[in-house]
Amino acid sequence: MLLEATNVSKAFGNFRAVAGADLAVDEGEIIGLIGPNGAGKSTFFNCLAGETMPTTGKIVFAGKDVTHALPEARARAGIGRTFQVPTTFEDMSVIDNVMVGAFLRHPHRNDAREHARRVIDLTGLRADQEARSLGTPGRKRLEIARVLATEPRLLLLDESLAGLTPTEMQEAIALVRRVHETGVTIVIVEHIMEVIMTLTKRLLVFNQGRVIASGTPDAVVRDEAVIEAYLGRGHRRRLESQRTSDKLVQND
Amino acid sequence: MRGRVGWGLLAAGLLLYPMLLTGPFYRDIGVTFLLAAISASAWNIVGGYAGQVSVGHSMFFGLGAYTPLLLYTLWGWPPLAGIPFGMALSVALALGIGMPTFRLTGHYFSMATIAVAELIRIFFGTWDLVGAAIGLQGPAVARSVWDLTFRSELPYYYIFLAVLAVLLLLTSALERRRFGFYLRAIKASERAAKSLGVPVRQTKMQALALSAAFTSVAGSLYVIKTGFIDPDSAFGILISVQMVIVAALGGAGTLFGPLLGALVLIPLQTATNSWFGGGGSGLTYILYGGIIVVIARFDPGGLFDLWHRVLPTLRKLFGSRAHAA
Repeated sequence: MLLEATNVSKAFGNFRAVAGADLAVDEGEIIGLIGPNGAGKSTFFNCLAGETMPTTGKIVFAGKDVTHALPEARARAGIGRTFQVPTTFEDMSVIDNVMVGAFLRHPHRNDAREHARRVIDLTGLRADQEARSLGTPGRKRLEIARVLATEPRLLLLDESLAGLTPTEMQEAIALVRRVHETGVTIVIVEHIMEVIMTLTKRLLVFNQGRVIASGTPDAVVRDEAVIEAYLGRGHRRRLESQRTSDKLVQND
Repeated sequence: MRGRVGWGLLAAGLLLYPMLLTGPFYRDIGVTFLLAAISASAWNIVGGYAGQVSVGHSMFFGLGAYTPLLLYTLWGWPPLAGIPFGMALSVALALGIGMPTFRLTGHYFSMATIAVAELIRIFFGTWDLVGAAIGLQGPAVARSVWDLTFRSELPYYYIFLAVLAVLLLLTSALERRRFGFYLRAIKASERAAKSLGVPVRQTKMQALALSAAFTSVAGSLYVIKTGFIDPDSAFGILISVQMVIVAALGGAGTLFGPLLGALVLIPLQTATNSWFGGGGSGLTYILYGGIIVVIARFDPGGLFDLWHRVLPTLRKLFGSRAHAA
């Protein structure tokens, strides 16, 4: 087991954004995490990455308890993450951005640069381009490159593929596949079902701060609790009444 | 290559300047310019590269200024010997104030640094050991060469120039190492830097300590030259503001930005002072205010950034003319 989060919860005052979530990830998996807006996915991600300290629960990574470890310590341990809104270092070039990540395992400049170049080749970016001149797809790609340079064992991708055109998305999916092939375990939060269905073998659904369903993507999307979480309570009755009124219209 | 030639010319210009313009007025400008460049370059490490805009760096300048004269007053030490003690005190103060103030970000950090500097100024103004409001004086006549009391400005000019060279070489070496990358990453996004394993607090503390040490040296150099210090000329807010403006004008977070800023600001400041005489001392504030407005409105990246933005346009213009011809 690479990562095991047990009964993780995070409360902001009276509001429990994450309420007893569990997640177990084996080395080499790609897991999808979906859920309606406000389900607590990002807060849960932040708990895993160390940006937010959980109120209760335990997070064990590679056999070590990291529940209260700082983000920088988790990065050293091998947990990497991207952000929903890309936070590239704007005034730096692509290679300098990636070198910041590379310095974690390669303290000397030349080694860091060499490693950064390898990662940039994998991600298909241009090393000397200024980060500020990149568009959304480029920024997302750069974020992935930057975190890859830290040589993570587990990569948490927070909507890294949102806001891309269909072509860009296909390229991004191929990139995530390549990254996975290098041996990195991936947990991906995503709204776009196409991405989830193509990339993942196992899918978890988050609602109201908890995991409400898990299994293969095909099984999960048919799960009653999942449909209810997305469409709301009483969706079946609404569907039926819709059908009845359709019929009435046809009969008229 | 072209850059190297440019900086070679600048170095030659700085070395030859006091030989070419020999009047005491020009030499005084030269020394003031170097002091401003040293202070702003020291500030630049934490304020420019790491983006932690301290507006209280006069606290380190002041400690660097007071310590040599205090050691002279108490035990007759040559002021030169006080420099390392000033640096040590400044580093200690930097670590002390860094712990709580680095919990704040942005404007809150800036305000906290102003508050600390002001507290120290007021405290020194009432502390008898350091001469309270009157301040301290150094050796009036040189007892030996170690007192570094010269009639001419020339030795000061070259001593200051040497310190500036050391500071810039050190900054340039750090800029290219992991430390420099980490500082720029912290400036851009602390959150992202942390997620990549950058030890953000530790790096900021190191930057502040290094910056404080060199700002302290600037204070010591100032006092070795002038021979006296009082709370306002050591800890006054204008001292801090000048460092910020000089660096921002030239380009904060660039190696030569502070140098360029001092090259523009100091002659301008001296000129306004001499045009308007003693009655115009308040004009410095107006000048600083004006520069802040101009930088904020038109050119947040400073003159260096402006140059880099204008250069392609110039090349294009030049190129198209050459084409037309």
